[in-house]
Amino acid sequence: MGILFTRMFSSLFGNREARILVLGLDNAGKTTILYRLQMGEVVSTIPTIGFNVETVQYNNIKFQVWDLGGQTSIRPYWRCYFPNTQAIIYVVDSSDTDRLVIAKDEFHTILEEEELKGAVVLIFANKQDLPGALDDAAVTESLELHKIKNRQWAIFKTSAIKGEGLFEGLDWLSNTLKSGGG
Amino acid sequence: MSRPYVNNRSSQGNVGRLRELLRKSENRLCADCGAPDPKWASANIGVFICIKCCGVHRSLGTHVSKVLSVTLDEWTDDEVDSMVEVGGNSFANKIYEAFIPEGYSKPGPDSCHEERLKFIRSKYELQEFLKPSLRIVSLPGTGRSGTGKSSLQPSLSRKILDSFRSSNSSTETEDGMVEFIGLLKVKVIKGTNLAIRDLRSSDPYVILTLGQQTVQTQVVRSNLNPVWNEVLMLSVPQNFGAVKLRVYDYDTFSADDIMGEAEVDIQPLITSAMAFGDPNMFGNMQIGKWLKSNDNALIEDSIINIVDGKVKQEVLLKLQKVESGDLELELEWIPLDQ
Repeated sequence: MGILFTRMFSSLFGNREARILVLGLDNAGKTTILYRLQMGEVVSTIPTIGFNVETVQYNNIKFQVWDLGGQTSIRPYWRCYFPNTQAIIYVVDSSDTDRLVIAKDEFHTILEEEELKGAVVLIFANKQDLPGALDDAAVTESLELHKIKNRQWAIFKTSAIKGEGLFEGLDWLSNTLKSGGG
Repeated sequence: MSRPYVNNRSSQGNVGRLRELLRKSENRLCADCGAPDPKWASANIGVFICIKCCGVHRSLGTHVSKVLSVTLDEWTDDEVDSMVEVGGNSFANKIYEAFIPEGYSKPGPDSCHEERLKFIRSKYELQEFLKPSLRIVSLPGTGRSGTGKSSLQPSLSRKILDSFRSSNSSTETEDGMVEFIGLLKVKVIKGTNLAIRDLRSSDPYVILTLGQQTVQTQVVRSNLNPVWNEVLMLSVPQNFGAVKLRVYDYDTFSADDIMGEAEVDIQPLITSAMAFGDPNMFGNMQIGKWLKSNDNALIEDSIINIVDGKVKQEVLLKLQKVESGDLELELEWIPLDQ
């Protein structure tokens, strides 16, 4: 399937390497996305109380992908991982409409962080396989993405369970990073 | 540090009501598999569950189960009300497992993911064990559609799933997770008599490393006695090592020069903090010590104190592998309660 993966323990940042943080509220699907990208499989997950880190090789870029836990009291830990980040993947449960306002607030708080001012942002409107999931246009509106200034961003409809939309997003990310964004 | 992240949820009184409910003996076991000491809950269904069953609940979508952590999440009034209204695991199970077939074996604490998934789906998503008159799902192909209204479960999701996702084979990857136990705040206060790396002075800055995390202070220009007073944060995983500290001289045109290093053992801080528990229960007092010895960089014994409900430690270090230089730090430990 053309995706090589290795677990990476050292933090070497060469030319074609990018450090990516996967952020989002609890139960948005961050860990499922990470392992879908890395192994091409759906894994059963439990809540991440900490982080998972894996390397995903795609389009000649080695992505070091950090999946950080999303529970309320773990969110303050995210900032420990902000330095040297080229891109944020922000994952939203598009079917959890009750919490889109919280997702929006957290998202814009992240964008205000000085250490992330150069990072490009990829939004995954995830869980498109569930009934009642909002599409990308509706999620764009809910997250108020029009307020993003001076930053490259894109949103994709995804289903981590079905494997849809993830690599399209990674294509955008690798093209954007190669052309000097982030 | 004020909380850097927003939340729109109210908290304090809710935590108490929720914990009180959790303390009831019937809630000391997971409602689905019976594992002891559940710390998660489905706020709309009204059951306390273990982390493994929580993983399954989450995979069903929030239209079936809205899962929150009792310790890691903040709860709204409505969410706590809904838990209190249901009244706990045994009452919930009287409803959801009322018509469990004879000889049906529920999953146990050691059951695999597939077994849990099958049971939890049958129990909540398909509601197969509900009293027939309460069933609110229609099963495609069975020709039976329950129209009864559940007056007992006002917050229960009523949506009908008419198509199920294909059930995917799963691989356990839980061993890939690095768990946090807390947050370490390191205030880099100042350096004294640091080494000269440029003509007459140095442009020092400090790098801290813990595991794969690296954080650093600002550069102070031309100063051998720099004052940073800068707070750096590190998240501490379960298997933590020492915090490695290095001081560098910033150079514009060449690689930065090292100005000494030291290791900070954070075990005494974390161990004594854990031994005492909630620091808010104590007045200001000394709770531990990291002792100076020949094989550490301490200049004097480093005292661990409770100060205004916070666990703090003052550290005075002699930089190693360098001709001169001392460094003053203040550590603060913020545990992550689970």
